[in-house]
Amino acid sequence: MKVIYSRGQFNFTWLFAIIVGSMIFFLAIFAALQFGNSQRTAVDSSVAKELNILTNPLQVGFGEASYGSIIFNKETKIFNTCFEPAQDFGRNELSVATRSNIGEEFNTPGISTKTPNKYIFSEERVIGETYYILSKPFFLPYKISDLLFMSSKNYCFRDTPDEIKDELERLNVPNIFLEGCSTDDSVQVCFGEGANCDMKVFGTCSDSTCDDLFETGKVLKDGESLDYSGNLLYGAIFSDKDLYECEVKRLLYRSQKVTEIFIKKIDLMGSRGCNSNLKSYLLIFANNLEGASMEDLAALYSFGRDIDTINDKEHCSVW
Amino acid sequence: MVIFKNRGQMKIQQMAFMLVGVFFFFMLVGLFLIRVQLGTITETVERLEQESAIESLEVIASMPELNCDSVTSLCLDRDKLGILSGDTIYSDFWPVASIKVYLVSSEFETEILCPEVNCNYYEIFDNGQTNKKEVSTFVSVCETATESGYVYDNCEVGKLVVGVNMQEE
Repeated sequence: MKVIYSRGQFNFTWLFAIIVGSMIFFLAIFAALQFGNSQRTAVDSSVAKELNILTNPLQVGFGEASYGSIIFNKETKIFNTCFEPAQDFGRNELSVATRSNIGEEFNTPGISTKTPNKYIFSEERVIGETYYILSKPFFLPYKISDLLFMSSKNYCFRDTPDEIKDELERLNVPNIFLEGCSTDDSVQVCFGEGANCDMKVFGTCSDSTCDDLFETGKVLKDGESLDYSGNLLYGAIFSDKDLYECEVKRLLYRSQKVTEIFIKKIDLMGSRGCNSNLKSYLLIFANNLEGASMEDLAALYSFGRDIDTINDKEHCSVW
Repeated sequence: MVIFKNRGQMKIQQMAFMLVGVFFFFMLVGLFLIRVQLGTITETVERLEQESAIESLEVIASMPELNCDSVTSLCLDRDKLGILSGDTIYSDFWPVASIKVYLVSSEFETEILCPEVNCNYYEIFDNGQTNKKEVSTFVSVCETATESGYVYDNCEVGKLVVGVNMQEE
């Protein structure tokens, strides 16, 4: 039998236990939440790094185009930030936030992964479970880099030129539809004029040296115009304007550095008796590339095509 | 000697010791979990870095700054190697800790850095990290040459060695 000697004794003992017990209890909950959050951040950072690695084999390399998809086991937000060149090559920074059933729906993104040697075109925030990645090379006029176009949305290409249509059919990209999709929820991309278009593509390559009208052109979307040349067409379709402009600047900066390497290579080849007449053209080209932006793409593409023709006729070709 | 004036005071002290004990127990469990978690993260980072470097071998070999042309895989241009050796503009660009290319057509005992006479390796980039793991692949190292009016590619066997960042101990 338990005897309570006084009410004061009972109150104080229990009061002390309740106060300290609840302090420990709340501390434990707080620690568990903090631990859970840091765990999510660690996982998200790891996913961003994995994403960077997974895009390596998806790069086209020596082919004309490649396609792959990345499937997450739950809805995932990918943040793609582009940094313009500032005495360097600029970079993409990828960070990831996965959906969770505990706490906030999406955690703050994990630590971002820097990719200075990749050009990833997408919206700045993409959300989805399945991400489709199309890769195409970028030539100006020699190969500069592989381009990665990432999206989780469906696209409907209407009145697509035969060259683009044939290639997309060969690749069988599941999120790009070419026929019978004009009424569904996908993003409507019209080549030329059309009704109910989310964006319109107009080709501007009309001179006799162009293989087709859409080699250079403009993509009109959200009331803005994005100039493109070659495979940057897909970049203009899949990206936000700011990110697209930034990626183009990075590519043009790298083009300038690759051109400078070719200029030095001409000197080295010349010392072995392998002369080239391209040096003066490449010096002008490198000069034009300095500080160039999206608006200069068509002119650079045209100049590049001319020097490519000269290179083909050279006894010792430089590239 | 401590004399408790009543049983209530004794119980409070017992409970206080108990609660402090419980608190420290959970603290230790928490610290243990954090330690395990940090170990897992370190392992994940190392694995990812290594996967990245292995994938980077082909990516680096196909970069226009180094490759022979845009159609031949695993072929490096010797002129470009010479131009990029020690070039600091690209130092933040490479996704790895170091890039070296050895010319392995003939055996050598001492490493001689190009462009010295009879050199046998090019050092394209090294971020100075000592704790790194190296992965490699064989490549062709070619340069355009001319003889009696004929232009041809003069190639030899090379080895592309890429250093992987490892966690500093």
